[in-house]
Amino acid sequence: MPALTLSHVTKQFGHATNQVTVLEDINFSATAGEVSLVLGPSGSGKSTFLTIAGGIQTPTTGQVQVQDQSLGQLTTKARDALRLNKIGFILQAYNLVPYLTVQDQFSLVDRVKPQGNLSAADLSALLDQLGIGQLTQQFPAELSGGQTQRVAIARALYQNPDIILADEPTAALDSARVAVVGQLLHDLAKQHHKAIVVVTHDLRLRDFADRIYQIMDGQMTVA
Amino acid sequence: MFLALREIRHEKLRYGLIVGMVVLVSYLVFVLSGLAYGLAQQNTQAISSWGTSKIALNSDANESLSQSLLTTATTDKLALSDHEAYIGQAGVVAKAAGQPKLSAQFVGLQAHQFVARNLKVTSGQRPATARQILVDDSFHDNGYRLGDRVQLNATAGKYTIVGFTHNAKLSVAPVIYGSLGTWRTLSHVTANFKASGVVSNDAHFAPKTAGVQTLTRQQFINKLPGYSAQNTTFTFMIAFLMVIAMVVIAVFLYILTMQKLPNYAVLRAQGIPASVLVKTTISQAMLLVVSGLVIGALLTAATVLALPAGVPMSFNLPLLAGVTVGILLTGVIGALIPVRLILRVDPVSVIGG
Repeated sequence: MPALTLSHVTKQFGHATNQVTVLEDINFSATAGEVSLVLGPSGSGKSTFLTIAGGIQTPTTGQVQVQDQSLGQLTTKARDALRLNKIGFILQAYNLVPYLTVQDQFSLVDRVKPQGNLSAADLSALLDQLGIGQLTQQFPAELSGGQTQRVAIARALYQNPDIILADEPTAALDSARVAVVGQLLHDLAKQHHKAIVVVTHDLRLRDFADRIYQIMDGQMTVA
Repeated sequence: MFLALREIRHEKLRYGLIVGMVVLVSYLVFVLSGLAYGLAQQNTQAISSWGTSKIALNSDANESLSQSLLTTATTDKLALSDHEAYIGQAGVVAKAAGQPKLSAQFVGLQAHQFVARNLKVTSGQRPATARQILVDDSFHDNGYRLGDRVQLNATAGKYTIVGFTHNAKLSVAPVIYGSLGTWRTLSHVTANFKASGVVSNDAHFAPKTAGVQTLTRQQFINKLPGYSAQNTTFTFMIAFLMVIAMVVIAVFLYILTMQKLPNYAVLRAQGIPASVLVKTTISQAMLLVVSGLVIGALLTAATVLALPAGVPMSFNLPLLAGVTVGILLTGVIGALIPVRLILRVDPVSVIGG
């Protein structure tokens, strides 16, 4: 069974003459153990796609299914719980809470979701792998853009979700770090059986993807 | 509370300013209510110490003890018991050699009646003769001592201080207790006048004698010159201050929450329940307000210690509790206003592109 399925999803904003179709009849599935890359330029609808896939927005028509649960049938509270337990978001901007140290970003997850997160040893290994193991007592304002993004990746992975939705995860990284992040996402998919969906315009991530989709003017095609 | 504490720790200046604002507001409210209560107390302390429930006055006295005169013909008809006592009140100026002049209220009593018997003497003794007086502690604060011979008004001769009593103030002036004879002398009335009024510790005391009006203790206090106007003024000042404080605190908390919405949107996107964020906001507001109240109360206590003894500041536990709860409620309301924003925060706003 696919970890994430979008069936005939359309998203429209506005009404009547002002109506804009941002996504049109999207069919998409992400499978555990694979990295799916959704490529598209700014304004193509890829962020809307990501928010609908993560249950943050609801589609105008069509269905979103996470494993065996249809998001359309869930309350807001149930969708929150689903995101907390099964979906990890890696966001492009405002990723971290500015008044929490790197360590506290993970402690916050422990407080709202005490079970099922990475162990201290696994977290330590992850931070070392991302090259941020020495930064646990730093605040986000004390980190570089690349370090911030890597902490955000670790933060999303910490809650050990089945699905990871990443919005431009390599936007602030140099090529060497892009390779590290790409390889990390790839390894997570393979070794930990995660379904990973990355929306990006960064073509450098192509080498780490199992499936590549192109999104343009709200329409998705297999690249 | 985790998020609330971490944020306060990280943003010390910002939250310090808010706590500072609550400190100033609570300090101002505490001090004002202390002054209001203190002043009210100084109007009525002596009356409270008499332990009276009712007071009978001349019906033409406009409910004022100092304006009332009861003739012996009238008082003979009152059929008084051990529960009643004569009171004579007269405004005087007291002066002893080497001491400042003090404006005071002379209260004439009969030594064997319950008011005189109930007076608490802090030093010395109760007057035993017509030329002896018992005076409020504020005389002592102004340099007067036991044995001082005090001139009352210009023509009434000299009286010896034989004792001091605590909290004896009437209409904000210190009280001098003496005999009814001295009261007659000070009031320039003949022996045909028995007293200014009759007080009773019997709640059912209600003489039907013509020319006599009976008031409850509270009715009498409310009619003290300036008392109601003074209390109303302070009550309105404190009420306006509370309302303004509520608006200011609410605006501050609203702005704070607005600034945090992008962070909250990230947390909502990550599945952190809105209830966690609401609890964080309210607990943070409570923490700030309670901290401000505690510091405000400590500052008020320090102020009380530093103020000269003559400043009429006094605290009443129910009043203080009411003011404290009022400020706390202000904080709760201020924190609840932005809760709607938190519940409606849109996680989509942090996913761009």
